[in-house]
Amino acid sequence: MWALLDARNLVKHLGGRRVVDGVDLVCESRQIVGLLGPNGAGKTTTLRMLYGFLHPDEGRIHVDGVELGRDLARAKRSIGVCTQDDTFDGDFTVEQNLTIAASYFRPRPADLARRVAELMDRFELTTYARQKPETLSGGYRRRLMIARALVHRPRLLFLDEPTTGLDPQARMSVWDLVDGLRAEGLGIILTTHYMDEAERLSDALTVLARGRVVARGTAKTVLGDLVGEHVVVVDAAVASAVAAWLAARGRGEPASVLGAWHVPLSGDELADFARAFPSLRYEVRGPTLDDLFLKLAL
Amino acid sequence: MSWLAAALEWQSRAVVARHLRVYLRNWHTAFLPPAVEPVTMLLAFGVGLGGYVASLTWQGRPIEYMNYVAPGLLAYATFMTAIFQSLFAAFIRMRYQRTWEGQLTTQVELTHVVWGEVLWAGLLATMYVVIVAAVLTVLHLTGVLGIRAGLLPTLLPIAFVAGCAFAALGLCFTAIVPTIDHMNLPVFLLVLPMGLLSSTYFPLEHPALVALNLVNPLHHLAQVFRGVLIGGPVAAHLAGVLVLSALMLGILVPLDLRLLRRRVLGD
Repeated sequence: MWALLDARNLVKHLGGRRVVDGVDLVCESRQIVGLLGPNGAGKTTTLRMLYGFLHPDEGRIHVDGVELGRDLARAKRSIGVCTQDDTFDGDFTVEQNLTIAASYFRPRPADLARRVAELMDRFELTTYARQKPETLSGGYRRRLMIARALVHRPRLLFLDEPTTGLDPQARMSVWDLVDGLRAEGLGIILTTHYMDEAERLSDALTVLARGRVVARGTAKTVLGDLVGEHVVVVDAAVASAVAAWLAARGRGEPASVLGAWHVPLSGDELADFARAFPSLRYEVRGPTLDDLFLKLAL
Repeated sequence: MSWLAAALEWQSRAVVARHLRVYLRNWHTAFLPPAVEPVTMLLAFGVGLGGYVASLTWQGRPIEYMNYVAPGLLAYATFMTAIFQSLFAAFIRMRYQRTWEGQLTTQVELTHVVWGEVLWAGLLATMYVVIVAAVLTVLHLTGVLGIRAGLLPTLLPIAFVAGCAFAALGLCFTAIVPTIDHMNLPVFLLVLPMGLLSSTYFPLEHPALVALNLVNPLHHLAQVFRGVLIGGPVAAHLAGVLVLSALMLGILVPLDLRLLRRRVLGD
């Protein structure tokens, strides 16, 4: 039995630069894989190769057992894509957007009228069925984008920053919908800049930096591997001694946020730190994906 | 040559069907310009300018200016409809409405989007020609024009092929102009000169223009339409339209694809 998505050794050059460099990515049914990385890490290019927008220079992508490079149309029949920006068809109403999207698939989705009604009901779009998408709020536009990506009953769904720009209530509502789709058996590739979203939704993370995979696994594993077990938060104004302590261990200056240093440390390092600075006031907390991004961006 | 085969694939037809559905939804306003434009043009050029010209010599025989202009109107409508559809409407769909990007998330590929735009522009140009032809038929039946109105349907396949070729030309500019304001450049530097200096509204006798028009498909199109509707040689100009259209489609569609792949997909 094959994985829903199996991408191996993807390489892509754009503008003479190697923007994706040997990326592997696997997604199974009933799994959400979070694809993370700072801006310029190669996330979007990787995603665009995975859903068939771009052809990789090297490597292979199989979707539901079909190689993208050999039979793109057949592979794309199993894929649903919700792009980061709204790309619905502004010439049509909400309901028509779903039917027109279905017209771009063969075999045509069975029992289309019922499928459209079912999606509008599930995504709470029925009230707005005859409205143009641009009249909807941000949250409902996102709902329409996700519903449209599902109209042909794909097995693999790409969600590219699905909650960017939404208020907290709308974000959580999208989370519930995404969680429900996973429970129904879809494989989902999710990119997001919201760390809480990635941690809550993803079963596994793949972290990219400078076009390469730098970590993969559960959020806990990734954070342990790349950040450390603890993060010490210390006021940057009184941190010159801490800088010297870090330099003695071959470490550079840590990330600074709002006048505070966030210093990732292992358990042993934390014990050393406590011994070295018995009278310093500081806070110790667990690492988050924000720490990971700050570290990768340095 | 998979780019060529894509023209016949269902995805290209699905794109055309989408554009047709939008167009027919607004049919009452969409049908108005092609119906009014030829009447206005015939009034301006035929009655207005024709009052001074009255008749001219074409293919060695005198003909009324109104009868000379009428086939030119059909050719001009084919050209302008196709090229404006592929310049402005396609640019809006690509850049502002992001319709293309939405289509590309499905089984539709960029080759289908491009062929869909080309075929749609050709079809729309043909539909406009049908409307203009209907107006010309009425004018013929009321005695204003003296054309072979019964032959008007034979012009439609030629209008479709030429319309597709003009659309392929328009898409080149759609692929390279940075903003919609820059469309003025192709419109004033290419579209209007090509449209007006092509024997659509008046015969061209200057040797330089005659030479230039040998490679202007619109000139050959106007002459084919004129040959059919008022009687005259057709074969050489028909060959001109078909050969130039085939060359334009064969060269410009792959070029459009290359340019748009970079612009739309960033590849």
